[in-house]
Amino acid sequence: MKAPPRNRGGDESEASEARYRGLLEAAPDAMVVVDQTGAIVLLNVQAENQFGYHRDELLGQQVTNIIPKGFAERLIADDLRSAEDALAQQIGTGIELTAVRKDGTEFPIEIMLSPLDSPEGILVTAAIRDISVRKDAEEALLQTVEELNRSNEELGQFAYIASHDLQEPLRMVASYTQLLSRRYKGRLDADADEFIAYAVDGASRMQRLIEDLLSFSRVGTTGEPLRSTSSEVALQQALSNLHVVVADSGALVTHDPLPTVLADETQLVQLFQNLVGNAIKYQAQGVPQVHVSAAENADETWTFSVKDNGLGIDPEYFERIFGMFERLHRRDEFAGTGIGLAISKKIVERHGGKISVESQPGEGSTFHFALAGAPK
Amino acid sequence: MKLVGGEGKTVEVLLVEDSPGDVRLTREAFRDADVSIRLHVASDGVEAMAFLRREGDHVHAPRPDLILLDLNLPRMDGREVLALVKEDASLKTIPTVILTTSDAEADILKSYELQANAFLSKPVQLDAFESLVHSIKDFWLTRVKLPQSRDG
Repeated sequence: MKAPPRNRGGDESEASEARYRGLLEAAPDAMVVVDQTGAIVLLNVQAENQFGYHRDELLGQQVTNIIPKGFAERLIADDLRSAEDALAQQIGTGIELTAVRKDGTEFPIEIMLSPLDSPEGILVTAAIRDISVRKDAEEALLQTVEELNRSNEELGQFAYIASHDLQEPLRMVASYTQLLSRRYKGRLDADADEFIAYAVDGASRMQRLIEDLLSFSRVGTTGEPLRSTSSEVALQQALSNLHVVVADSGALVTHDPLPTVLADETQLVQLFQNLVGNAIKYQAQGVPQVHVSAAENADETWTFSVKDNGLGIDPEYFERIFGMFERLHRRDEFAGTGIGLAISKKIVERHGGKISVESQPGEGSTFHFALAGAPK
Repeated sequence: MKLVGGEGKTVEVLLVEDSPGDVRLTREAFRDADVSIRLHVASDGVEAMAFLRREGDHVHAPRPDLILLDLNLPRMDGREVLALVKEDASLKTIPTVILTTSDAEADILKSYELQANAFLSKPVQLDAFESLVHSIKDFWLTRVKLPQSRDG
């Protein structure tokens, strides 16, 4: 057993060692001083407590007794470097290791090393912190995130399967009420015609709802990876999908030159289609005018704007309109399921952006969303 | 060679479908056909194979000019029926069209790998379903030419 340094030094070193010992005892962490052979030469009371040993049981013992791996190796000179260099590489960085108590139980620690000159050569002071609590918290957080992801995915799957399977019986209800209405309209009585009309209307509204729910859940489940995509081509595609609506309303849709961005093209088309479609739809009278533009931001993202001259939205409703099933109008004013903007929001968020609206009733609305630019 | 629906001949169609609602809708959609169509219905894969092989109650079953096959069926599903039909020398020349609510990529691919002649998704809207049935009739029962079947 190697004797601790206090038994060897002269008066002067004894005095400095006493000061050092005072410092060690004042430290909040367990402190262990180790010489170049890996033997423990000094420790504080926190170290005794943490490892469950009495001081005398550790002094002169190898540090591998309490930190089996990863510590001693870091201090020992090898062919490539001297002990000083080996130590110098470790100074100031927290190293996460596993420590062992006297009773054999293990616990995670973080150690910080610093060199200490002594008459016996360079010693190493290790501040050892028990990080069980932090590790447990990290582990718990990781598990919670995993569970959350799993339950989110299950919920997405559930929504998809439920809406898909609901479509089947609904197809029967819708088809047969339509068949009833077609074959028997005017052949029963006025009440029957009215009842059948409500049944047909209810069934087809539910079909639109389910279709929208399906496309909402597809945003998460069937999204493509983001690639360089011409937003101008995406807008053109959206306008071509909307051509009947555009023609019927006589809308004037214009746009500035639009950039290439990082996007899932199918979803970008759907986003433009929803926003331009809304811009044309929520219109009092007159010719709907819609303008699409994009401005580059300092962080290489682009903020798109879809501006209309429509009804406008009371700022009070700005948050609500992006929610699921939220509608601001009666069904006889404007048809719709209240899912379009929820889908739009989900698409923008999947692209890492945000969607917002600027509007005043009677002044038209401008919807903004940001997308990352394509790498140049 | 023969034209399927030519010259007053009755066209035989085997519909393999387990939902009575769908059977009736298909029947209604075929109703105002200008060719005379006889719609036979098998409500699962086992019955479909018995019909095609003229087994049990089906000894007098005609050879269909067209098979409309749903994929999800009790007892024996549409994929198995399709595989059996296409590996049977006497049945494989019968055009077999998948008519299903699925539009899953995997189902489409699997069906064509098993030599389906076409894959059609049942539209949700009645109008669209009717027009699909009309186009089946127009194409598969009126326009296509098929080899003369060995058993007439």
